[in-house]
Order: sequence, then C-alpha cells, then structure tokens
Amino acid sequence: MTRAEFLERIRERVRMSPGRFDASPAARPRHPAADAEIIRRELAERWPQTLEAFRREFESVAGVFHRTATIDMVPAVVAEIARERGARELVSWHAAALGADLGAPLGALGLDVHQMPAAEPSDGAERQRLRAIAGRADLGLTGVDLAIAETGTLVLVSGAGRPRSTSLLPPCHVAVFDRTALLESLRQVGVFLEAWHGDGRPPAGGAAINFITGPSRTADIELTLTRGVHGPKEVHAIFVEQPIRG
Amino acid sequence: MSDAELATPFRQRAGGAMKDAFLQEALTIATTKFIGLRREAFASFPEGEALRDRARAIKEATLQHLDRHLETLIDNVERLGGHVHFAATPAEARAIIVDIARRTGARIAVKSKSMATEEIHLNEALEAAGVTPVETDLGEYIIQLAHERPSHIIAPAIHKTKGQVAELFTRELKRPAEPDPEALTRIARAELREKFLQADLGITGANFAVADTGTVVLVTNEGNGRMVTSLPRVHVAVMGVEKMVPSFTDLMVFLAILAKSATGQKLSVYTSLVRGPRRAGELEGPEEFHLVLLDGGRIAQIAGPLREALSCLRCGACLNVCPVYRQIGGHAYGYTYPGPIGILLTAMLEGASAVKDLAHASSLCGACADACPVRIDIPRMLIELRREVDEEKIAPWTERLAFALLAMLFRRPRLYRLAAKIGRVVQRLFTRDGRIRALPLVFGEWTRTRDLPPVAPRTFQERWAADKDLRA
Repeated sequence: MTRAEFLERIRERVRMSPGRFDASPAARPRHPAADAEIIRRELAERWPQTLEAFRREFESVAGVFHRTATIDMVPAVVAEIARERGARELVSWHAAALGADLGAPLGALGLDVHQMPAAEPSDGAERQRLRAIAGRADLGLTGVDLAIAETGTLVLVSGAGRPRSTSLLPPCHVAVFDRTALLESLRQVGVFLEAWHGDGRPPAGGAAINFITGPSRTADIELTLTRGVHGPKEVHAIFVEQPIRG
Repeated sequence: MSDAELATPFRQRAGGAMKDAFLQEALTIATTKFIGLRREAFASFPEGEALRDRARAIKEATLQHLDRHLETLIDNVERLGGHVHFAATPAEARAIIVDIARRTGARIAVKSKSMATEEIHLNEALEAAGVTPVETDLGEYIIQLAHERPSHIIAPAIHKTKGQVAELFTRELKRPAEPDPEALTRIARAELREKFLQADLGITGANFAVADTGTVVLVTNEGNGRMVTSLPRVHVAVMGVEKMVPSFTDLMVFLAILAKSATGQKLSVYTSLVRGPRRAGELEGPEEFHLVLLDGGRIAQIAGPLREALSCLRCGACLNVCPVYRQIGGHAYGYTYPGPIGILLTAMLEGASAVKDLAHASSLCGACADACPVRIDIPRMLIELRREVDEEKIAPWTERLAFALLAMLFRRPRLYRLAAKIGRVVQRLFTRDGRIRALPLVFGEWTRTRDLPPVAPRTFQERWAADKDLRA
C-alpha cells in the first residue's frame, strides 16, 4: 500500500469520529533550552539532596554507587572494581566524551585499556575489530549525560567516541558522572529531550539515547530474578564531586 | 495458534488448562506476584493516578489527529535517512519484511520481543524465505525452541518449569543443562550473544513512536532491544499505527506508568530511543533503518466500537487481575493477544466472529479496567461485542432465542412478576443449598460453568408493597 492510500484511509476514519472526549497532548515547553537551563540552575543549589535520592534509587535497582572527590581519583576506583573481579581488559569511551583522559593512569594500574576512537572507523574491518574488543572486554567505562534521581537511571547519548556497545557488551559497566548530570524527575528529562531536539544542543550527535536503570535482568524462568542476561551483570556509577570539565 | 488447535472449542481449551495442575500453580504464583508488584509501585507514587488520566488523554488526543501525527513521524524518519513502509494486512507486512531481508542478503534475523511480529506470524514467513529468525527475549527464546506461542504478554514462558527449560536446552542446544534459572540464563546468554554478532537483520516492535522527532522507543529488561538496534546492519521496526505519541514530553508520561503497571519497576532496565540509521562518527547502529506501519484492522476502529482499545500499552496488567485469565492462562484464548484486552484486540484484528465464545470469557467484574494504566473500559466493549455477536447471528440460535425471550419478559412488568412467581415454584426442583447448580435440556448450557441465583423468596416489589406501613 502507498503512503497516500494509507494516510487517506486514516484521514477518512479520523473525520468520521469526533473522539470520545475533549483531550489534548501534554503541554510542551515553549523554550525548552531555556527551561532546561533554569532546571540546571535550580538543581545546582540542591544537588546533594538530588544525589542522595539518586543513590538510593540506583542501589535499589542493584546499582553499585561510588564517590570520589576528583576525576583523578577515578582510575583507582575502577582498578579496585577490576581487581575484585579478576578483570583485566577495559574498553572506554574516548577521552573527549569522558571529559578526561584516564587511559594512561588506568594502564599504570595494570589494566589493558582500549580507548574508542573519536572518529568513525575507516572501513568495515576496523569496525569489526573495535566491536570485537567491546565484545571481549571485562569492563566498559562510559560517561553519563543525565542521571535521574526519581528512578536511579543513567542516560547515555550515542555518538562519535561514545559507542553504544561500551555500556552493553562487557559484563560490567562503570559510568562516571558529576553534579551537572543530575536531574530529579522524568518530567525534567522530558524538558532536556525537548531541548536537545529543539532549540538546544544534544550532548552528542548519535542516533540512540539509552536509559539504563540497573543491570540487565530477566525473570522469564519461573519468575526467578536473574541478572546479566544480555547486557551487563553489574552497573557501577562513580560520582565525582569536583565537576569533571572544571 | 494453529488452525487445528483453534478447531478445538474454547470451552474445551479452557477446560484442559484448568485440569493442568502445573499451569494452575504457575498462573496463580505469577499473576499474584505481578499484582503485588504493581500495587506497591503505585502506592509509593502519589502522582500515579493523575498521570494515568494524563496518559489516557494524550492517547485520545493523538487518535483525534492520528493522520497528522503519522505524517509528521513519516517525514521525520525519512529526513533521518530511514525508510517507511505501509502494510494494510499482516500478509503485506510479512511481504515487506521478507523483501527487505532478501534485498539485504540477510541470513539470520535477531528479534527483540514484539507482539506486532507475533501478530503477523513473521517467523514462519522468514523461515520460508530462508532467513533464520532468532527470538532473543529469554522467554520468547524458550517458546521458540519449544515451538509454542507466548502465554502472557510480558512473561511469555510462565507456563514452563525450570526442569522443562533444562530438558529443552539439553535437547535443542545439545548442551547439558541443569534446572537452575541462573545456569540456564548463562547458557542462553552465550548462545544468543553469538547470534547478535552474526545477525544481519534486527527486528523489533515499538513500544512508542514519537512523531515530532521520528523516534522509535523500545523498552526491555534484558538489553536485547539494545543489541538488536545496535549490532545488525539493518534494523526493521514493526509498529501498529496506534503506538504514536506526539512529543518527548508526552513520552515521559507513559514511561512513568508503563513499567509500574507491567512489572512494578519504576522504569524497565533499558529504554532505548532510536532515530533512524547510525550517524556519522558512530561505531554501531544499523546502516539501514526501516519502519513498517501496520493497520491490520486498527484503522477501522479509529471510528469503531473498539476505539478505546487503541490506547492499549501492552503492559499485561489486565491479564494478571482477570479471574478468567488467572484460571485458564494465555494459550486457551487461542490468539496472539490473551486476557481481557486480548479479546478486544482479537476482535479488532480478526473480526467479531473470532470472539463469539471469547466475548463471554469474562465475568465483567471490572478488575481489568481498574488495573489498566490508561483506564480502558474493557467490560463496556466486551458487552458491545456480545451484542454484536448476537445481532450478527454469530451466536447459536438457542442462545439468541433465550435472550430474545428474556428481553421480552424484561419489557413487560406483569408478565415478569408472573414469571417470577412461576419460577419460584419450579426452581424448588433444582435448588440445592440456596443455589441452582444444574438445569436440564438447553438450559444446562448456562449452569455448566456457573450457578444461577434463584428467585428470592420475596421479590423487591413485594417487599416494597409490604413495608409501606413501616416507611410511613
């Protein structure tokens, strides 16, 4: 069926029905970028409460929460997570996407670090090679674009230097964030999504935005909760007190 | 379900399910657990009730301008480099997807859980075209290996024991498996991980599509939705036209109530918002993105008696609370969509004659409407369907005659009073412990599955007349 025929079919039925009651979709922010900015500014004053709420929710979905003073202290936390799990290989977002280059210090702590390139792979073979690394790595290190306190959720936007697989293929995902990512509610997330696709700028130019609320889980066999079915079995969030980008 | 299975009358299928002791226990445990989880989730979410009203209003508002929203969605998907296809029937949808598979030389297709692709029986069509479809939701994977169909919208394999799954894995995967959910899940992870990396084609449904940004939204707990939309070269999303929401602001309202209604989670583990094929600079994501818009009977209902059912989010909450579903499980319904909402969707997709028995598989208690996150008045539409089944002469003549006689009686007060008097005498023959449990002849059809309350010793009218003095 063609687009015109299909739409005409719908148009005809829509004309025939006045609807069951008066209704309107949700009122959208008129200037979402400005509204997002206001939310950020308001939250800047009460981030400790928001962080505490986030920690509570994140832990209730089996996330593991860590806290450090500065970004320089993150590699030690990551190395400790690796040591406890006997993990060696780590795949990481590009330094520009993380906001800091942690490759050298992580390497110095004995980890085998693969930083994903900031540019698109030159050919299919290179793409396969990079994907294979993500496939065999023990740890995946990413940044966070939004952290939602209401639900304990991490929001990651895909793009150059921020592969989707880093937070998906390794059995353990470690995400690093600071107060600028914190939001209180899903409603606020709506404002940010509107801004990113409207009069504001998204954090990255990829085609996927992923909301991650704890480790991968299933209860499909006799309702027994089991973690790590396809995605990571563990999700760690490292909060950095000093804003990462200064 | 196969035609052979459908040839078994509904009553027999339901009867079989009720004699299956394991199924009975599994159903009770699962539905009771889901009910509790949902209740807890909303109890600690005071804004929930208002959001449910809001969500319903958004669905209704979207339907009122569905043509416009769809046009916006199509334009946006195409602007992003995706392709949009239009399928009036399941056969057209299958042909479109098989064609994409052929053209891209796909050999393995990984699928994330999708009721829309169940509905169009896509797997058989792919197999016939030489493409191996692999279900990747653990429950769906189990069902696929066992050559069965899902029995619950969100927990497709609740009717299987871990022992059965272990046997199935041992036999089908040639891997010795212990009856331990953790170990079985590990086996499935390893098997399916390989498939994700090999597959050329990723097929998904869509929980929502956001018109003004051309976004397809997928909600999963396992992460298979992310795999399927990130790793294969080609991504095909199949969605019923009713899955539209206008904006991201609207989307957030639905996300806030969907998982709470389904599994009691505040959000499902993964919510993926995907906009067309991968962009410059991205390592993963499909080179090609296709969106298949499916009618299959939905469009007619925009101005039809089942319009409200177009608001359904497929959360499964109405199944869990339904006293009928809890007794018979999903398979007995016989079609893709089980439970109270399933009866309406079956009528929508297959026509009213498909539900001539199912329309009566409800006590009309209203628990489904209470549980529904968007407050769909399912009982009202079930009554409509019963009338349609009756008026279209789909019901057996004895049933139609009985209801015609009753209707006549109800319209004539004197005749009604007389009938009550007669009934009070005649019923003595059949009343045991205050209930009429069995009637002879065709009337026995009624009492086979339910009791008939006897006529009261004194009718309301008689009491009203007798108590006149007291009232004064």
